[in-house]
Amino acid sequence: MVQAWKLGRRAAAGRGDGALGSAQRDEDCARLIAGIAREDRAALRALYEATAPKLLGIILRIVGDRGAAEDTLQEVFVRIWQRAGSYDAASGTPLVWLAAIARHRAIDRLRQDRSARVAPLEDGWIERLPDPWDGEADLADRDALVRCLDRVEGPQRECLVLAYCEGWSREELAERHGKPVNTIKTWLRRGLLSLRGCLEAA
Amino acid sequence: MSTPKPWAEDPEGTAGEYVLGTLPPKERAAFVEALKADASLRALVIAWENRLAPLAATAPPAAPGPATWAGIEARIAGGPVAVEETGDARILKLQRRLRRWRLAAGVAGALAAGLALWIAAGVPSVPEGAQYVAVVDRGGALPALIVRVDLAGNTVQVRSLAAQAPPDRSLELWYVGAGATPRSMGLVTGASARLSIPDALREGAEGGSLAVTVEPKGGSPTGSPTGPVVYSGKLLKE
Repeated sequence: MVQAWKLGRRAAAGRGDGALGSAQRDEDCARLIAGIAREDRAALRALYEATAPKLLGIILRIVGDRGAAEDTLQEVFVRIWQRAGSYDAASGTPLVWLAAIARHRAIDRLRQDRSARVAPLEDGWIERLPDPWDGEADLADRDALVRCLDRVEGPQRECLVLAYCEGWSREELAERHGKPVNTIKTWLRRGLLSLRGCLEAA
Repeated sequence: MSTPKPWAEDPEGTAGEYVLGTLPPKERAAFVEALKADASLRALVIAWENRLAPLAATAPPAAPGPATWAGIEARIAGGPVAVEETGDARILKLQRRLRRWRLAAGVAGALAAGLALWIAAGVPSVPEGAQYVAVVDRGGALPALIVRVDLAGNTVQVRSLAAQAPPDRSLELWYVGAGATPRSMGLVTGASARLSIPDALREGAEGGSLAVTVEPKGGSPTGSPTGPVVYSGKLLKE
């Protein structure tokens, strides 16, 4: 499953958004977030139109259940509504900020619901990396991330990816690998460290 | 709190694991608290969010159902009452239900209104056409009440969402039949109430409306509305 690291070389073709380049899109989203900070509901609606499917995708991959995911998406947008004023462009693009809110809410939801994990990642998802959401800058980031993930030791890499993308806990990863929880913690931290080292060297 | 901070030893790794989502729940909660006050921890987290974000973009998009947006509007419009006092799952169910009603009534567009509306549970099975529902709001944006009229069961159930009476005033609910004088249905008091059905409504719910006025404490002294209409809504056959 997660071994499929080689990217399909359809990066450019995969960006199906056409008119909206990344910079333009980020600028638009930033403007909408500024509007939301002024309690402009139309701006919230517009941001929702632009990003909800992507955010729901992120949430759904973590919480698994459609109803819970849509409910979480609502919480995410309520949070965006309340916290828009705290968005700081220096901290990352609007989409990084939005995705972080979505992921963290989804993880909290997952831990709280405590439902059993059913299926692991489906095959080949990594090939989908070229994504309508990505613009030029993101593509460069993505290529670097993929290259650096590739250098992380296999089991560590798998733990990182399953945790980040699907919200696996240390305990679940420990069970999957038949290792003590502390080993998983060590793997995760080592994996993160080598990832950071590689990205910073790039 | 002066408990030792488990991340002091490895703030970088802890920040990374926070972003991954793998911190144990207690440590995660404590870390979130600490983030509020510690800019250097926040910087570590932000760096990890940025490094890993391309992976988030690998999630295939999924279009949310139409009720999802309605629920968001309801949660931000309803204020603390609707957001905090209503269970999430329940809101979701209600949205679906309300959406059905409103679609059925052919007012889909602006309806999105806030749908964190809840009508008393236990829908009795009654003859077709005996039930009406009204979403009472201020011009479509912010639903204040939902009123359900059950002619067969002889009950009016009022669920208050965002309706708020000014200090020392009461909100009074009126039935306004086509071309008729408004009939009081009672005061809008708590979060939910059961009121009696005015005779006029019994005969002609079709085409009737409900309105809420601001009245002196205890209700209109005259039996007719004396204050401004703050909310209104049409009765729709359920």
